[in-house]
Amino acid sequence: MESRISRFVLRVLTAVALVSVFGLWAMAQDDPDPNSPTPILITEATSTRALAQSADTASRVPSNKIATSQAFPPDSDIVIYVADLALMEGEGANAFRAYATDGQNHIYSFPVVGLEEVSAAKNLYAMTIRLTDDSGFWDTKPVGDVALYVTWRGLASNTARLGIGHISSDDVLTDGSKPMPLGTTNLGNRTSPPTLTRKSGRNITPDFVGYRFAADRRRFLEQATFGPTQALDDRIRRIGLKTWLAEQFAAQYPSALNPYPNQPLKPANIPADCDGEQTLTPDVPTTCFRDTYTLYPLQTWNSFESLYGTAPLRHRVAWAMGQIWVNSGVDVQQSRHMVEYHKILSNNAFGSFRTMMGQMTLSPTMGDYLSMSLSTKNNPNENYAREIMQLFTVGLFMLNQDGSIICVEHNPCQTGDTPQPSYDQNTVNNLTKVFTGWTFCAVQASCPNVAVGALNYIDPMLLNTANHDLTAKTLTSYTGSTTSNVAACPTTGSTSCTVTTGVTATQAAANTVTYANASMNQALDNLFNHPNVGPFISKTMIQHLVTSSPSPAYVSRVAGVFNNNGFGVRGDMKAVVRAILLDPEARGDLKTDPNYGKLREPFQLSTNFLRSFNVRSADGTGLSDGYLLGSGEYRGMGQIPFFSPTVFNYFPPGYVIPNSSLIGPEFAVMTTGTSIQRANFMNRMVFTAPALPITADSTTGGGPRGTSVDFSDLQALSTADSTGGQLVDELNRRMLHGTMSTQMRSTIMTAVTNIVATDTLNRSRQAVYLVATSSQYQVQR
Amino acid sequence: MKETRRDFLKKSGGCALGMVSLATQMHHLGAMSAMAQRVLDDQANSPDAGYKALVLLYFQGGNDGNNMIIPNHGDATISNYTAYSAARNNQGLALTQTQLAATQINVPRLGNLAYALHPNMGSQTQNGTTIVNNGIHELWGLGKLAAVVNVGNLVRPLTKAQYQSSSFAKPYQLFSHSDQVTQSQTANAKTQAFTGWGGRVSDKMTSSDNPGGLIPMVTSINGAQLFTAGQTTLPLAIADANTPLANVLNPAGFTGTGGPARLTAFNSLRTLDRSSNYVAAASNVTQAAMDANNSLATAQDVTTLFPNTGLGRQLKQVARLIKDSTALNVTRQIFYVQVGSFDTHTSQLTGQGNLLTQVSQAMRSFWDELGVQSMQNNVTTFTLSDFCRTFNPAGTGAIVGSDHAWGNHMFVMGGSVLGGDFYGSLRPDGTGNYYPTLTFAGPDDADTGSGARGRWIPTTAVDQYASVLARWYGMPQDTASLATVFPNLPNFATGTFPSLNFLP
Repeated sequence: MESRISRFVLRVLTAVALVSVFGLWAMAQDDPDPNSPTPILITEATSTRALAQSADTASRVPSNKIATSQAFPPDSDIVIYVADLALMEGEGANAFRAYATDGQNHIYSFPVVGLEEVSAAKNLYAMTIRLTDDSGFWDTKPVGDVALYVTWRGLASNTARLGIGHISSDDVLTDGSKPMPLGTTNLGNRTSPPTLTRKSGRNITPDFVGYRFAADRRRFLEQATFGPTQALDDRIRRIGLKTWLAEQFAAQYPSALNPYPNQPLKPANIPADCDGEQTLTPDVPTTCFRDTYTLYPLQTWNSFESLYGTAPLRHRVAWAMGQIWVNSGVDVQQSRHMVEYHKILSNNAFGSFRTMMGQMTLSPTMGDYLSMSLSTKNNPNENYAREIMQLFTVGLFMLNQDGSIICVEHNPCQTGDTPQPSYDQNTVNNLTKVFTGWTFCAVQASCPNVAVGALNYIDPMLLNTANHDLTAKTLTSYTGSTTSNVAACPTTGSTSCTVTTGVTATQAAANTVTYANASMNQALDNLFNHPNVGPFISKTMIQHLVTSSPSPAYVSRVAGVFNNNGFGVRGDMKAVVRAILLDPEARGDLKTDPNYGKLREPFQLSTNFLRSFNVRSADGTGLSDGYLLGSGEYRGMGQIPFFSPTVFNYFPPGYVIPNSSLIGPEFAVMTTGTSIQRANFMNRMVFTAPALPITADSTTGGGPRGTSVDFSDLQALSTADSTGGQLVDELNRRMLHGTMSTQMRSTIMTAVTNIVATDTLNRSRQAVYLVATSSQYQVQR
Repeated sequence: MKETRRDFLKKSGGCALGMVSLATQMHHLGAMSAMAQRVLDDQANSPDAGYKALVLLYFQGGNDGNNMIIPNHGDATISNYTAYSAARNNQGLALTQTQLAATQINVPRLGNLAYALHPNMGSQTQNGTTIVNNGIHELWGLGKLAAVVNVGNLVRPLTKAQYQSSSFAKPYQLFSHSDQVTQSQTANAKTQAFTGWGGRVSDKMTSSDNPGGLIPMVTSINGAQLFTAGQTTLPLAIADANTPLANVLNPAGFTGTGGPARLTAFNSLRTLDRSSNYVAAASNVTQAAMDANNSLATAQDVTTLFPNTGLGRQLKQVARLIKDSTALNVTRQIFYVQVGSFDTHTSQLTGQGNLLTQVSQAMRSFWDELGVQSMQNNVTTFTLSDFCRTFNPAGTGAIVGSDHAWGNHMFVMGGSVLGGDFYGSLRPDGTGNYYPTLTFAGPDDADTGSGARGRWIPTTAVDQYASVLARWYGMPQDTASLATVFPNLPNFATGTFPSLNFLP
């Protein structure tokens, strides 16, 4: 009996052990194939004209017999046919976008209003599109033949011709475009897709990247960190994306070798021994001014963490959140003030969005920047109340879960409709009242970090009960809102905020604290539960990490996770980050959608570049301390870290690139002037070594040690292969995750081989400079 | 087949802006010069062939116009100094009549009543600060500076009753920075627009007025701005005068080993991989920079001393470009400069005071330099801002500030300006005056009730103000052009606005 039990136990234990081993192995292999098939837009049998019919045509059964050599009226709904999809549950029309290019190269966007499966066997879908440009950008309307294509998960279909208003003889497609009729295409089970060509495009071959998953791994690191390194790449190859994410969620932050620069708080009036003037009253220490009254400590700390940190995902997410919840050295005086604000970003990067809302609201740094610390019942200040709604949580207009705007007249909006505001001035006034009375904490008993002679920028702000508005407030109202009214504090009874029968002054003050905190929590809950927050935050975070113009379906999937992480929890940022990075629109190999990706902001451009080349100190003897050539580098490129010009960040999420209808937030800091500064930054980093002369400061331990890059491994490749091919191919892998086109490669090869093969350093520099300054590298895609 | 000019320009516009490869652009250069000749022929018949420039000076953050142009009279029939002081003095935001004495102005449109500019806009002596010039107050007396009062974003004229009714269109998201900036820069308070009115004017006029221009018609000295973006206009944006024009767009380092080959490759990479719209867009920007760079290499510096402030350096860079305009082969230019930090929720007296000193000194240097260049009559400088600020102060004492409001006062400076007077409109019902009634919850206040804070309902729309500037600049006045550039203009009194003719 006993032995049987033991044997049973043993068997179970063995099974458990086996399962564990298997589980670990399975976890590493858990990542699904990231690749999505390329959608095929069906054409007529013998031409490149799209197989299409009017949406009101009774028969929806497509066949090559549909007479499609016809034009369709502008603004009408038509059905086109798309094959070779692999839809997830719930994935429908808003996963697709339809674009048309006319003879003037204007790009129009057509709403996709319906999608239904026609034949499961043939993997064929009928897609209804409306022939109305909803980009809203062009004066012109698409007329005549246009080049139509659809996109899905960052992949573009083949291009087909479509007549609007009339069929024209203008050839909008190059001869390379091929008919993709039903029947001849081996739908649903194809092994060798045909090569497709769009006008003025290079060949699009879905199998372009030979090492399919390796390219995606590198791109994942571009999205999730401050740039891929070989070590990270190896780590993910070993453990897989999901496990790596889990590892990052738990990683120590900041990195063990890079603690936060916790300079002591100093008076707002700069004392003589810390004013940077060294003759009359020498500063103690000599770097006192720089390390207190400038953001130098935080900026170099931030750069160091970006270049070497062991928790890059949290650092990247905090950086992105800091561009939503913006704070700026334009107004913030001391590095420590901003450090305390950054702690709120990083502590909550994988936490609850609601918790972060609470901590930000009582952050003294934010209270200073957006004036809440000065807002009192008699002199209310609207600044924070307005921006927490407009910029940090709900945004200006009512949104669907997929991020599209709801209009007063219709949902979805139609041309000429008026977007429905999320709130009005009255809401701002009321929320302002809720936020009155808090200010810097000077009470030793409540706040451990009170410093004599300096404002307390460390502990949360504390209520001055005399300054809190005790009247009733009306909050935002939306379907399902249950917390939209804050009652006035009673003036009688035991909870009275004013002295009354049975309530002393002390008790009234205590009651006011209770009332004010409850009101604030109610107001923050009211905003947090607003249906806009999911799509608003999700879309902005996607823009910061992955792509400037995500499909509505992608936004909707992530917003769905924001709304409920699967366990009934709302605002779980860990789940949101995971959903953003593992989405099929983020993953897969070469993305062919012309509107996929994002311009690298200057800071990301810099760190991605530096991390590619063994970044180190200026003299090459140790680690960089995060100091570049000088703050002028980032000023020139239009983005000084922690110095957003206004609370609206360096660039607005809805920025439209001039002379195009494209949304590209980062392009707001990509002007003629800054584009040249980007190239000149690369020029200095690539050709000037060491990048920074050692200064007197650096010998006394104050730094900066500066930053330079190392091309020795590239020189070895140059030596090994005198054609330059290995060198350029390595840069293609390392910097462009294999997206370098053959033309780009040959252009760079010509310039590389212009230098004698023995000059391996200059060959390396030549190739690196050209890749690093190329638009192909400026854009992360 | 005769190609209309419009068709032709559309095509070449696309080409010049880099939507096709460099090789194709080269191919079109021949065609461009033919077009240039044709347009020059047209221009010979035009009465208006000289150089003209518009300079937008944007007060970023929402300037408190209430403390920039102040009533300094005792006339009981129109809001006077007492009305101003009563609302602002208790919390410490009122400027005193002693402070205002030196910057007094008289306003013919209001029976020569006395008003005053902010004291820092006159001549100043300050310890430790080098005062470069006498400021812009002097230009009022010379008739070269005008004020347009109570201007703001509007979809249509609004009386207070109409504002309170839901059936009259109002600007979206009033009192919000980003939206009001967008509306003032796009001249469209009705819907979100993707192009600015400066960019759209340029779209209309570049091919006719700057056919062989070596740089775009629009230049920002303050980064990418919606005002400057057009459908076909890709604006120039360059650094301020700290960088000489020869260097602002000059890529460094194409010398030494492999340098020429590197430059060749650098340039040809921009013609590749344009199937990605983002790659193409980045290449277009760099291409525009490289095109302009070649033309800026020989630009000369200006001689007038400019204050070494953000705005001083921006206007100095504008002056350099104007000086170089003949060589750049442009007859029309639009510039954007900006001065920031007007969002004075707190500490306004110091904050706004310093900024207005900067504004006044820089504008005056610019004016003086245009005199050296004999360009004063050819250049009109005008202001815009997000919005005005609440007449009722926010906070009290040393940190007193003000919150977001609406209708605001603007300056227009130039040799062609019919200056020394107020311009504006009465309320839509014909009541009121050419200055808001400074009464909380009064007829000009959008707010009502005891908490009213003084947010003036504008009596002149940004669209109207802008249209007067664009007309002087030479923008075609046909209905189609006006509808494209100022789509909501027909909502306002049609034709001209007699009390708004601050330019001929």
